[in-house]
Amino acid sequence: MSEVIVITSGKGGVGKTTTTANLGVGLAIRGKKVALIDTDTGLRNLDLLLGLERRIVYTLVDVVQKRVGYGQALVRHKKYTDLFLLPTSQVADKTAIDPQEMLTIVQAMRNEFDYILIDCPAGIEQGFQTAVIGADWAIVVTMPEIAAVRDADKIIGKLQSENKNIKLVVNRIRPQMVKDGTMLDMTSIDDILSVDCIGQIPDDEKVVDSANRGIPVVEWKNSAAGSAYRDVVSRVLGEDVPFKPFETEGFFTRLKHVFGH
Amino acid sequence: MSEDIVKLKGSTFGIQLVFDRKVDFSVVKDDIRKKLESGSKFFKRGTVISIEPGILTQSEEDELRKLFHQHAVLFRVEKIESPRIPKRAIMNKSPQPNSDDAYKRARTDNAGQLIKKPSEEQKMMVINRTVRGGQEINSTGSILVIGNVNPGAQIIAGGSIDVRGVCRGLVHAGAYGDSTAFIIADKLMPTQIRIADRIAQPPEDAESPTGAEKASIQNGRIIIETVER
Repeated sequence: MSEVIVITSGKGGVGKTTTTANLGVGLAIRGKKVALIDTDTGLRNLDLLLGLERRIVYTLVDVVQKRVGYGQALVRHKKYTDLFLLPTSQVADKTAIDPQEMLTIVQAMRNEFDYILIDCPAGIEQGFQTAVIGADWAIVVTMPEIAAVRDADKIIGKLQSENKNIKLVVNRIRPQMVKDGTMLDMTSIDDILSVDCIGQIPDDEKVVDSANRGIPVVEWKNSAAGSAYRDVVSRVLGEDVPFKPFETEGFFTRLKHVFGH
Repeated sequence: MSEDIVKLKGSTFGIQLVFDRKVDFSVVKDDIRKKLESGSKFFKRGTVISIEPGILTQSEEDELRKLFHQHAVLFRVEKIESPRIPKRAIMNKSPQPNSDDAYKRARTDNAGQLIKKPSEEQKMMVINRTVRGGQEINSTGSILVIGNVNPGAQIIAGGSIDVRGVCRGLVHAGAYGDSTAFIIADKLMPTQIRIADRIAQPPEDAESPTGAEKASIQNGRIIIETVER
């Protein structure tokens, strides 16, 4: 039986789509059959991060309007044959997909996949309702900054009133700033949100590079964010993985920078 | 019979806890736990159970309070014969110019009813979870939150507010004019405190409190003092 997970945050730009792409690829690497659904209609990005834009023929909106079945709209990943993307339309807007219609599609897809990940748009309007309705549980993505934590709190309240189980991923942590006390640490975040954390992702320039290339960092061996995402994948699979301490810039690393090594 | 160990005497001002003082405290506690778990009608959510002061030690009182709170029952140590009847001194004052909509709504809707039933704020709404940003809790009586009140959340009570956790949101006690209402929290660090028609804002550089604190109106101003509990 499949698990349907919605990836949401409230605030925009904290890394919902990045998390969805990395989790999807990571689960596929671990041999799971995975479908990713982009519900950010009108502002779709998930296809870009996966390098699949040019393969899109039909979208979620076509499926909702019954022009095609969902099977025809699914785009297979070029490298991982068990990973599929159900893209959304870049032309339509959020009102094109009604929550009930979304629920029907997700229910129909359940039999075919081990995991269905739904990439939620920012905001708390209809797009949020559409993304959340079919999900068994939710991953809330936030960043160690006050606005992102506030919005995550609001979203967690909404999800709890719909009885969804919630896990937290904290993205773009800058270990040096946390160490210096200029960035919220995990304790202060947990103080407010108090939900189970399954991911602490360090800020990593390679994420930008990876987006441009359409290859999520979870595949990259030498990326700190990639390694953290691999741990998130393991935790989603139910494994008990300890959190690794972050590498902060020590004296010797700084020295190396000075001497240009 | 275990029934005889602990008795509950009903009065107009709540339910009084009575038991044989010769019996060991652990037996009393056990009996109360059994009663709570049996789902007796006495223990509806928000029921107030009181005991005369001086019968139990501080730590025993705390243990009972904890036990009752787990079942959303409120436990008070107070003289039963002399219930506090709140004054309604500010009832006739004009509303705060910058008060929010909920304040005005609640005030006009309930003002008449409140005068007829002076025991209104004996009623207690119990919220058994953390109140998160964007959520609002409204009650004509008092409100007990077993959990945190997060920033962006609003708690508006006709009576007093008790937060068994960290209070970081906006809290308004005595929202219909009761200036004897108060606010207690394990950690009181709200964005704003309102009692009756008074508004207080904590200083920008306020440090995190170390223990429970109580906010109330004294000499027309909201003051905050530490309390034991």
